Amino acid sequence: MRKFLDAATALVAFACALLALALLGGLVYVIVQKGGPAISWGFFTEQIRLVGAAGGIFWNLIGTLILLLTAFLASAPIAIALALMERVWLKGETSRRILTTGLYAINGVPSIVFGIFGFIVLVQWCGWGKSWLAGGLILAMVILPTVTVALMERLKAIPAKYVEAAAGLGLSRAQIIWAVLLPQSWGGLITGSLLGLARAAGEVAPIMFTATIFAGATMPHAIKESPVLSLPYHIFILAQDSFDPGVGSKLWGSALVLLGLVFSLSLAALPTRLRIHEEAHHG
Amino acid sequence: MTKTLSWIFSLLAVATMGLLLAIFIWQSVPVWKHEGWGYLLEKKWYFRQHEFGVLPMVYGTLVVSFIALVLAVPVGWGAAIFTSEYLPRRLRMAVKVLIELLAGVPGVIYGLLGILLLRDWVYDGFEKFEPLSGDTLLTAGILLAVMILPTVVTLSDDALRSIPSAQRLAARGLGLTRAESILFIVVPQARRGLGASVLLALGRAMGETTAVFLVVGRQDNNLPDNWFSLRAWLDSGQTITSKLVSSETNIAYGDAIHWGAIVGLGLILLVMTGAATLLGTAFTRKPHA
Repeated sequence: MRKFLDAATALVAFACALLALALLGGLVYVIVQKGGPAISWGFFTEQIRLVGAAGGIFWNLIGTLILLLTAFLASAPIAIALALMERVWLKGETSRRILTTGLYAINGVPSIVFGIFGFIVLVQWCGWGKSWLAGGLILAMVILPTVTVALMERLKAIPAKYVEAAAGLGLSRAQIIWAVLLPQSWGGLITGSLLGLARAAGEVAPIMFTATIFAGATMPHAIKESPVLSLPYHIFILAQDSFDPGVGSKLWGSALVLLGLVFSLSLAALPTRLRIHEEAHHG
Repeated sequence: MTKTLSWIFSLLAVATMGLLLAIFIWQSVPVWKHEGWGYLLEKKWYFRQHEFGVLPMVYGTLVVSFIALVLAVPVGWGAAIFTSEYLPRRLRMAVKVLIELLAGVPGVIYGLLGILLLRDWVYDGFEKFEPLSGDTLLTAGILLAVMILPTVVTLSDDALRSIPSAQRLAARGLGLTRAESILFIVVPQARRGLGASVLLALGRAMGETTAVFLVVGRQDNNLPDNWFSLRAWLDSGQTITSKLVSSETNIAYGDAIHWGAIVGLGLILLVMTGAATLLGTAFTRKPHA
């Protein structure tokens, strides 16, 4: 009886894990199988025509890349400042804890809330209308906790003797930051940013009221009234009207490209991440 | 200089978050004045008549999140037990990587799969209950379950791994089988972390927007007389997020009360997800630390 229960537990646990992996496999299979036929060179280099039924997704890709680059550039300085705050400048245990708890709280804020915040402040109050910059800044808020926490973990992993050696040489705290801490931890910034951007790339809710339209935008040349096209919003709109078979194949093709982009970003973040993870658990 | 810059950028972040909270409280004031408690407790959303009560949307959010948890938590815990207790280290990392890839799949892609596959499966599978369409609370709940499954697995796996192996060895040494040592020794010690995985997954489920929007049907004022009626799960509904991301948000700006009603929904959502997230984060902390 005990032997039977032992085997049954293992089997049930195995089945659960298999189900989770099968979901991933099935999802990728469906997207590749339906989206694969739409992928061609022209799909990446042409602009959309006939409300998404023909042409390609060139400006959608460019728009998404503009948004991601903006989000990266806007979040990086803030993440560095917050991480240095936690590791170097803040003295008390309590204030540090408040900072990290605050980051987890921000991480739990639904992205639509950021979207509406951006709509009020940037689109309406600043009078930008839909703008790539508004979308980029809002996505920066979405990814800020991810970037900051990754950077904090990397700072924490820097051996104390590096800092001690630098201090022994008479470097000030600011000098230690520039000469030791930041050069040793830029990998954390990159890893965190890649992870954050992997999430940001697929978000619709933060950008649909602030930055992106379905058709008729190319390269933005200003800040005000300068929307971009984007990949996730393209899919979002087409998905609600997916009866035309021509649209259907382009729709799945766009989904495949977006999935590829997101997976590439998270896989690029992987090597450093696994190392930190294992060091944290076994080191 | 370096210190000043750190302070400036950090304060910028803090001020932005403060402004966010202030805006959501302040801009929703008109609707609280207009409706009073009825805004929270009544079933009515007729924006042309200026009547706003959010109860059906709170119900929708709670129901889809509940369905998602009921489906995802047992599977997620089982999968976490398998990865943390049965798999050798290298294989475990490989599986975790795959599970995290699943976590990274954008909501809009889940929504697309929901529209083109799940919707029909739900419609056909529950045919004898005669649902009006495949866009139901249940459809959204099932889709959400898949979306939060990786969160449950990853956090539960971390929680189980944090229990020292000496505990397992001692249990086996006392003659317990592997399953007994897991279920009676490891799992009870990891209960806080396992609980946190549920709360954080709940926070994610309540805030998920795009996928839910695409399959929930977005029908206003749909609230069953009996909150626990299961048949109501096969009706279309509306969640807080599906309302927030609808085109009504564009229309409402400029009409103080209507806009207040929209922003108020955001505030309610913030409170619900914030409570789940903060409670979950507090859970992961060791009680004596």
